[in-house]
Amino acid sequence: MQRFLDPAVLAGISGLDLIAKTVVDGFVAGLHRSPDFGFSQEFAEYRAYTTGDDLRHVDWNLFARTDRCYLKRYRGETNGQLTILLDASNSMKFGSHAVSKMDYARYIAASLFYLAIHNQRDPAGLLVFDDEVRNYIRPSTRQGQLHRLLAGLEQAEPMARTDFTKPLTHLQEFLNRRGMVVIISDFYDSPEAIAKTIEPLRFHGSEVVLFHVLDPQEIKPQIRAPSILVDLETEQKLEVIPEYARGEYRRRMDAHLQGMRDQSRAAGLDYYLLVTDQPLDEALSQYLYLRPGGR
Amino acid sequence: MGFLAPWFLAALAGLGLPVYIHLLRRHTTTPRLVSSLMFFERGTQSSTRHRRLRYLLLFSLRALLLLLLALAFAGPFIRRPSSATSDRLLVVVIDNSFSMRAGRHLEDAKQEAMRLLATRSASQRAQVMVLGAELQVLTQPIEDARALRAAVEGIRPGDSHGSFGELGRGMRALSETVHTPIDLHLFSDMQASNMPGNFADMVMPGNVALILHPVSKENLPNWTVESVEAPAQLSDPKKAHVVAVIVGHHTPVAARLVSLVINGVVSATRTVNVPADGRTTVAFDSLDVPYGVSREEIKIDSADSFSADDAICFAVKRADPERTLFVHQGSDSRSPFYFGAALGATGQASFVLQAIDANQAADIDPAQYAFVVLSDVDSIPSILENSLKRYVESGGGVLIAAGTSTARRRKLPLLGESVDQPRYYSQAGGYATVGRVDDASPMMKDSSGWGDTKIFYASAVQPGQARVVSRLSDGTPFLLDYSVGQGHVVVFSSGIDNVTNDLPLHPAFVPFVDHVARYLSGSERLSGMRVVDTFVQLRSPVGEGVSNPSAVDVVAPDGSRPLTLQEEATMQTLRLVQAGFYQIRYPNGREVLLAVNPDRRESDLQSIPDDVLRLWSEGASGASRVNSASDAADQSKRSVYKLWWWVMLFLLIAAVMESIVASRYLGTQREEV
Repeated sequence: MQRFLDPAVLAGISGLDLIAKTVVDGFVAGLHRSPDFGFSQEFAEYRAYTTGDDLRHVDWNLFARTDRCYLKRYRGETNGQLTILLDASNSMKFGSHAVSKMDYARYIAASLFYLAIHNQRDPAGLLVFDDEVRNYIRPSTRQGQLHRLLAGLEQAEPMARTDFTKPLTHLQEFLNRRGMVVIISDFYDSPEAIAKTIEPLRFHGSEVVLFHVLDPQEIKPQIRAPSILVDLETEQKLEVIPEYARGEYRRRMDAHLQGMRDQSRAAGLDYYLLVTDQPLDEALSQYLYLRPGGR
Repeated sequence: MGFLAPWFLAALAGLGLPVYIHLLRRHTTTPRLVSSLMFFERGTQSSTRHRRLRYLLLFSLRALLLLLLALAFAGPFIRRPSSATSDRLLVVVIDNSFSMRAGRHLEDAKQEAMRLLATRSASQRAQVMVLGAELQVLTQPIEDARALRAAVEGIRPGDSHGSFGELGRGMRALSETVHTPIDLHLFSDMQASNMPGNFADMVMPGNVALILHPVSKENLPNWTVESVEAPAQLSDPKKAHVVAVIVGHHTPVAARLVSLVINGVVSATRTVNVPADGRTTVAFDSLDVPYGVSREEIKIDSADSFSADDAICFAVKRADPERTLFVHQGSDSRSPFYFGAALGATGQASFVLQAIDANQAADIDPAQYAFVVLSDVDSIPSILENSLKRYVESGGGVLIAAGTSTARRRKLPLLGESVDQPRYYSQAGGYATVGRVDDASPMMKDSSGWGDTKIFYASAVQPGQARVVSRLSDGTPFLLDYSVGQGHVVVFSSGIDNVTNDLPLHPAFVPFVDHVARYLSGSERLSGMRVVDTFVQLRSPVGEGVSNPSAVDVVAPDGSRPLTLQEEATMQTLRLVQAGFYQIRYPNGREVLLAVNPDRRESDLQSIPDDVLRLWSEGASGASRVNSASDAADQSKRSVYKLWWWVMLFLLIAAVMESIVASRYLGTQREEV
């Protein structure tokens, strides 16, 4: 089953629903020994009642048996709705092997939708953007929401350039409930600008997770001869020599990634680097394991 | 600019190869799509520009390499203007012949030459020569002004007779090795007597431009002692007399005081009237010289600017008459009579004849005699023959009269030459006459009466290595000169009597005997007056296997020794280059004093007419124009400067640079792999 989690294998499967099911089921099947896992609102601890606490959280059964007033607390109490912001700019079209960054982002998003709706019964929504908001599906748990989301993912073809400002402004208008916001992008912008643009989402109490999707060729480009490179978004052409790609480019890319990590941490954002040749279960487990509620 | 093999330029089509490799092929690179050029922007552009620059550099080097290769095969050349001053060789020739001692001619010539050298451009090569009897090169073609100046300053007045013919020959030889144009500047008094007999000898070759610098514009008046007749050897001073000829060149009528100076002391003076531009003779009736060799001088009072030619020196040897051994047959009394009479009739009477029968001559030492005569002897004692051989080889002289008795012996004494088929002209009812005479021989200086002599008998002597001085009308050698060792054997192929010929009865017999006596005794060769630049024989040619270790000793007029030790042991002749008295001691111990005087043609200071000078100078450049429209244009064609060495040098540099640049580029690619 694990072999189906290879992105290259998944690329041969048509239909995001099947891909999501394959990924999640396979992933969950491999984690049977970890029962305390998931988005569910699980019991965490009892705490003695103090004045001012909400009486709705009082465990009345315990009060009846012991005549003591305790409050029941759950881990998943901060989680609820999942909103995925998918970057559908032209740069996401890049792929040095069978799976492009856009494909990989779709698989990730589909898997997360499947986990949230099918397993957790949480509302999930999708916002596809480039420099504009191209598609927005409100978070919901209604019947057929998963299909609508998957269809939205299917229709998200890369075009235009990336601009985080408009989609996030748009999202803030509709984001009236705390939840989890997942942004899947290749983040070709300065880390400071990205953090500064995304940070306001946290002010609503939402947990913001950044999935940084990159192709292996973008991290360590293999250029054996002087080549003319064409920017997918701007169509600008540039001649590049191998020694530059091997030296200076890698230093700049490493600095960029490190900047993303540092700026995210500083802004209270969760940041995960996903490379498109990385199996999806590893990507999911990396995320889910590292999440505070995942342990 | 041109090309020697322009068809090789077709190889320039090969330039398309680097153009394809660097420009065309590079443009076919397939663009690669990337997500963003965000990280390529800043550093990438400068790096690419640098890379592109290196590509262009490599492309340029490769294209240059092919271009230079094609050029090298095509043989490029440029034509340099032949009139470029630095390309012309400046030849400075200063005349230092004897006539340049007149006035300040030589000093003026040197100063003018120095001025010319001073105005020369520093890059122009120049050469200094001096012209006397021959053209002497003082410097090679150089640019060093200091060396050129030193060469000019070092020129001393000479005693030679100048020759413009030698200048022409020298320039023709120079033009064969120097192909650049030559500017020949001649500083001379342009003496007319320096012109050769044939004007063509002094014409310059085509690439020589002759520029004349006459140091004297006018014909200076000059009196000189033209010649002196004086005995080289005498025994009685009262019988000797000296005759001198005083001549004036471009002079008015004047009275001149002529002095006879003996060993530095004025012995006698005469006043003579020299006609205008003419000559006169003055005689001194006695020559009262002491025993031994004396230095004499005929001198006139100095009244012109050319004082160096106011005297002629000569040497006179006073000695008792030398004995001459006359060996004859006992029955022959005519020969010693005629020969002795002729010998006594000579002006100086320096020889005394001692006649002796051949049979009684065994104990005679020939070394005690000035020369020996073997007069028609059929045999001589072997002791005498051996003594005579040694005597001749050490420098002695023998006259052999080969009369009828010698013909019977069929072999000449001393020489061993065979005598065959004697010519008895009288038996045929007639006689032979003297057909040809070698006037250059010192024995035949006065041979005017020989044509009237009747020869009735002559021995047919095989000449072998001998110099035939005279032949009879039928070609039979009549007088032969054999060189044996350091001496001479003269063969007279008839008798010294009035039977076999009538020469002893003719007046020509006396000067003949006189000259033969002087020649064989060596006084002709070893004394008297010589002219500068003539040669004196130091020793006879040494035959193979004959050793001649003895050295001659020569002291020049200035007291120097002109020969090195090796030359003193080996040289056969000496060139007399200075005027004055040469002291020579020969290998056989004989010492002589030679008076050497400059050529008196140098005393006539008449210049070459202007039209001749113009013809000479213009003829040099004119000849080049005439000889070829081709030659003048030739000159420019000849100054083609080939550039292929430079092309090859640049090719090498380009190849090295291309290797360096290409290896760096290829090295980068290897690292990537």
